[in-house]
Amino acid sequence: MIRRPINRSTAIALGICSVVLLLGAYTWLANRQHARNPDDTTIPTWSQLAKGVAAATEVNKRSNDRWLVQDLKASGFRLFVGLGLGIAGALALGVIMGCFGAGEAFFQPPLSLLAKVPPTAALAVFFVLVGTDTEMYIAMIAFGILPALAITVYLAVKEFPEELQFKAYTLGASHLEVIFAVILRYVFPKLIDAVRLVIGPAMVFLIAAEMLVGDVGFGYRIRLQSKLLNMSVVYPYLAVLAAFGFGMDYVLKLVQQKLCPWYEGYRG
Amino acid sequence: MNPSADHSIALESRGVHHWFGSKRVLGDVNLKVLCGQFLSLVGPSGCGKSTLLRAIVGTHLPRRGQIFLFPKGASQGMPVTGPGRDRGIVYQHYSLFPFLTAQDNVAVGLSLDQTSLPFRVFCYPQWRRLRKQHQQQAADFLAKVKLADAIHLYPHEMSGGMRQRVAIAQALIMKPEIILLDEPFGALDEATREELQRMLLALYDENQQAKKLGDKPPYTLIIVTHELNEALYVGERVVGLSQYWDWKKEGHAEFPGATITYDKPAPLSEIKSGRDFEKFAAQRREIHGTVFNPKNCPDRNEHLTYWKTGAYPEPKSVSPAGT
Repeated sequence: MIRRPINRSTAIALGICSVVLLLGAYTWLANRQHARNPDDTTIPTWSQLAKGVAAATEVNKRSNDRWLVQDLKASGFRLFVGLGLGIAGALALGVIMGCFGAGEAFFQPPLSLLAKVPPTAALAVFFVLVGTDTEMYIAMIAFGILPALAITVYLAVKEFPEELQFKAYTLGASHLEVIFAVILRYVFPKLIDAVRLVIGPAMVFLIAAEMLVGDVGFGYRIRLQSKLLNMSVVYPYLAVLAAFGFGMDYVLKLVQQKLCPWYEGYRG
Repeated sequence: MNPSADHSIALESRGVHHWFGSKRVLGDVNLKVLCGQFLSLVGPSGCGKSTLLRAIVGTHLPRRGQIFLFPKGASQGMPVTGPGRDRGIVYQHYSLFPFLTAQDNVAVGLSLDQTSLPFRVFCYPQWRRLRKQHQQQAADFLAKVKLADAIHLYPHEMSGGMRQRVAIAQALIMKPEIILLDEPFGALDEATREELQRMLLALYDENQQAKKLGDKPPYTLIIVTHELNEALYVGERVVGLSQYWDWKKEGHAEFPGATITYDKPAPLSEIKSGRDFEKFAAQRREIHGTVFNPKNCPDRNEHLTYWKTGAYPEPKSVSPAGT
């Protein structure tokens, strides 16, 4: 019957099955391809993949550094600073819009317009405004995620029950305390939910920009190695990206559970 | 001016009018509430009970007229200009902060009132110590309202009755001049309702004890309710706000808004004895007839007999400076 829960061990067994099946199918595909063409690099065998991983993690003769370390440093810095600035800006903007009618009237029209422009399409704008250095990637990520996050914060502030705001005043809160000690605490877990959702888009913006103008970073390396058909390097890079996205999501969920134990039950 | 402890005014509504656009809501609402009084405010739906309560809380000030508070020792009324810590409020819904446990919900008022945001950030160690004290006070208070086992629960983990209990504790711990309850038990089942009504009667009892000792009664309370039995059971005085009154007689060409058409003492209820709503039957019928009946629009002064038949004569209005 539909929507009937299955027991846990069956669920785990099925999950393992799907992964094994995926790896098995890949192995079969790779072997078949190499039986036809032993020099193939599009579907690398496991031993080729191991070599690719080695190439990415060994000290490279030309740059005198490890590719993966170089790329992780560059892309990681861009992503985290971009995310941080984007979140801070969105929080400030969302709170101003949610708390003050004038802020709402002033910021809402440009925000809803800008939210519709894909940042990757507006690459040239960032290019012109902040150059092609690290700042460009940061600006692109920050402005890329800002509209969606700001609107989430703004709506969360708006939906905060006004009775609770009045009550805070009757308990001796000042205006600043109502914003920082009451409303922000209510908004915080919703912000984490929203951040979890924009990690993916933020990575898309970064990789796309790096592919176009980067000289180091994940997007740059993937583009370069793809052109050379070195899939033995590309696949491990994709795996690192997947693991990173997965890990970020997990950490944010954990932070939410630790800092806002009330939220899950409240949401119902 | 302040003749005796049980005679002083806690709150006065003087000539309060309110309207939304062309819709008149409150027309000339005058009301004096004594210190230590438990007043029930009743009225048909849409009569402006909530508007009056919001005016008292200070979140929505009246268009004309003013609400005055008379804090301890003040010889003059302080006009209400906004919400403040001297008036506590308990709402029917959303009465607790969802992100705080029962204990923190009660303690948060002490913290917000006694400390500032910069203090909590820059004097963190002192703040920690103070917070411990506040939490201890809150825990003691919750034990008093029989919630000692629930102090670590979040609002969504509590039943409706427990939540309102915490909400009342949250307001009481601030020792406000007046506590306002807006349909506080409207969403509760009958058994829980009775339990909480008894809790209010226990507070009233504390007032009586204080009066006996010649002290200022600690709780002054306005409860808004549509349940007449509740109004008569919990309150010592029932005030009816109604849009059904004879305003043409007073020379108004248009409806000026709801006003107070009923103000009489209610029978005193003992906590120990059971709730006997039968004995309220006559007064209930009277209130139904005067306040809730659209076909009966009496002279608004006809049923304002509280100060004539009540225990006290009407205290004189104390004019605040400059009015």
